Amino acid sequence: MQNMGKYTLIITEKPDAALRIASALDWKERPQRMYENGVPYYIAKREREIVVVPALGHLYTIMDEQKGRNYPAFSFRWVPRYVAERKASRIRGWLQTISRLSKDAEAFIDACDYDIEGSVIGYCILKYAMDNKEKLSRRMKYSTLTKQELQESFSSPLSHLDFGLIEAGLARHEVDWLCGVNLSRALTNAVKNWSGRYATLSTGRVQGPTLEFLVNREEDIKAFVPTPYWQIRARIEINGQAFDAKYEKQRVETKKDAEAIVSACKNKEGQVEKLEVRQTKHPPPFPFDLGTLQNEAYRLFKFTPRRTLSIAQQLYLDALVSYPRTDSQRLPPVIGYENILKNLSRAAEYRELVSKLLRQQTLEPNEGNRVDPAHPAIFPTGNLPQRTLETSERKIWDLIVHRFMAVFGETALSQTLKIRLTADGHHFYLEGRKILAEGWMHYYEPYVRFEEVILPTIEKGENAKFRRIVAESLLTEPPARHNPSSLLREMENAGIGTKATRADIIETLYDRGYVRHERITVTRLGFEVRQILERHCPTIISTEFTRGLEAKMKGIQENKKKRDRVVSETIETLRPILEKLKKEEKAIGEQLSRTLEEVGLEEKTVGSCPQCKNGKLIVTYSRKTGKRFIGCTNYFKGLCKASFPLPQKGILRLAGKKCSKCGWPTVEVRTRRKPWILCINPLCPSKNRA
Amino acid sequence: MQCAICNRESALGDYCAFHEKAHGNLVTGYEQWKKALDISWKEYLREIAKNPLAGEWAKEVAQHLLSCGEQPNVEKREEKRV
Repeated sequence: MQNMGKYTLIITEKPDAALRIASALDWKERPQRMYENGVPYYIAKREREIVVVPALGHLYTIMDEQKGRNYPAFSFRWVPRYVAERKASRIRGWLQTISRLSKDAEAFIDACDYDIEGSVIGYCILKYAMDNKEKLSRRMKYSTLTKQELQESFSSPLSHLDFGLIEAGLARHEVDWLCGVNLSRALTNAVKNWSGRYATLSTGRVQGPTLEFLVNREEDIKAFVPTPYWQIRARIEINGQAFDAKYEKQRVETKKDAEAIVSACKNKEGQVEKLEVRQTKHPPPFPFDLGTLQNEAYRLFKFTPRRTLSIAQQLYLDALVSYPRTDSQRLPPVIGYENILKNLSRAAEYRELVSKLLRQQTLEPNEGNRVDPAHPAIFPTGNLPQRTLETSERKIWDLIVHRFMAVFGETALSQTLKIRLTADGHHFYLEGRKILAEGWMHYYEPYVRFEEVILPTIEKGENAKFRRIVAESLLTEPPARHNPSSLLREMENAGIGTKATRADIIETLYDRGYVRHERITVTRLGFEVRQILERHCPTIISTEFTRGLEAKMKGIQENKKKRDRVVSETIETLRPILEKLKKEEKAIGEQLSRTLEEVGLEEKTVGSCPQCKNGKLIVTYSRKTGKRFIGCTNYFKGLCKASFPLPQKGILRLAGKKCSKCGWPTVEVRTRRKPWILCINPLCPSKNRA
Repeated sequence: MQCAICNRESALGDYCAFHEKAHGNLVTGYEQWKKALDISWKEYLREIAKNPLAGEWAKEVAQHLLSCGEQPNVEKREEKRV
């Protein structure tokens, strides 16, 4: 950078945000783009020169003071990520550039996202890479990356960093590191010392209780015993039209009672005994906080919470929506409701809705109770996409826009009509419903559904004939499995994790092999890990422990607690737990190693050996050539020499099905072409090409 | 002691904690089945063992009880009363 005098240096969390801020602050909205060590940074011309340099998320992390992977590990320090992580070598050059740029700067502004993580990122850079500039720096606070908000935020920054938030963020990292590293090492080392085998096993103060939720549900499902009941279903004719009527009891407990009801009402006429009209008000929904956005995106599009967060984050960086990592259900007037709506109306698909909404006398959002001191609820900025959005991005953006409009809508009104029919002392109900006033639902279409059932006009005392009546035999069903969205809600309700980390914790459970499938099933390994934690360190999987830590962290943020105190209290809680784990390491190692071995064998087993009949066919690799093939487990005992060739290209998946022609096991082969099922029998009739 | 079904450790009796839970559900479930359909213990176990809604452990316990011919505690209790 030549011929530059002193300047103001702004740090952002990501490169996209740096470009947005530099563009918003440059007189001509065309900042000069520079490159150094592969780091993009921008020079914006204003009254004074401004340099905007991005981070790449966290550039610093915690590292163990001692070498190796031993535990307990209670001493740590903050280091550049490239020191602690092999794959982070790029960070070295990045920090050099930031450090060099700080030398000629006369003022510093931290413009990282205004939340706990953003505050830690900015603080670490100012302290470590810029040689203790954290006390000199000012803080930009904004919730959208729109030009207007960025300019306002730059013109009147906060005079200092939010040290309460920073201390709470540092404490969170340190406490998570202490719990995660020590407990994960206890599990991993137990396996390694017992079997000599390395396996990535982990747990932590949030992961443990989350796994516990899932295991509890899985236990209820696996031990579930269905019980029988009967449901009376009646088809009733009124004025030539047929309607389904419900019996007064949802469930009839015995077959005898159910049959008695059916025979009492069969071919009879029911008399209208009562008509009940009720009107219900449906207030508009609350604006989206991150959790409700994630739940709604899962309900409508089946997007996992992590995917929704990542899409919302991208939309935020594109200045299309406000900051998504928020707990708030409030939309302060300062965001300019009318302006946002007017800007949105530039898009043809929203024009009519916006103009209808603006015809309302007032624009007042229906807000929820949740507040986030740093950011409002998620809202569209009013900007329209400057690039073609991907389908998933378009879906989330459209959902946020419709939700934003819906919160300003009027209360919807529906009417239900309940008709009570009596036949031979038994009561049946017909229920009709219709919308009287659409209100906010109009703005939230197609994401809200209300099925109308219109009943014909009928008077009290009139008769209606039973066209058909049956007793349907049913069984109670097991509790529903969690999906990523319902699990996220349960974590939220239990007060564990944060809005920013919950989705990642769920993904980690998948990555570790503790759970699988969208409708979450706990694997054998998941069960064993939980059992070990429950037996040897129940504190770690208790919701109270992690909830208590969250409360302490909040105390730090509000300057009511000291970070050092919270960290040392955590160490004192962990110390006896880790001592106990160390003492019982052998038993833990044996249990986990056996499970891992059995799970590993299950995962590569193709089926039973058709030659020796009692061995198992597994996918294995030749020691000589390294090529893969299928062999029998009895080979090593010298009992069976069965082996079958496999294609060397493509990904193999166990099909779990037998060949329809010869009954031998099959495997699925996935290459760039369509996946195909391969029967391992070389003489299978399906391979005859006559 | 080891669980009669899965070889896990059993602290309480014949079964590990998981199969014991399923066993408890089977015994209480039978009271409802008997009231609803007036079926015998054996018929009930056969139903559970093949029912797709029944949990894996409940099915395993039902199979095990069928093979060893154990009677439910409820019946034992009734027999004692008689």
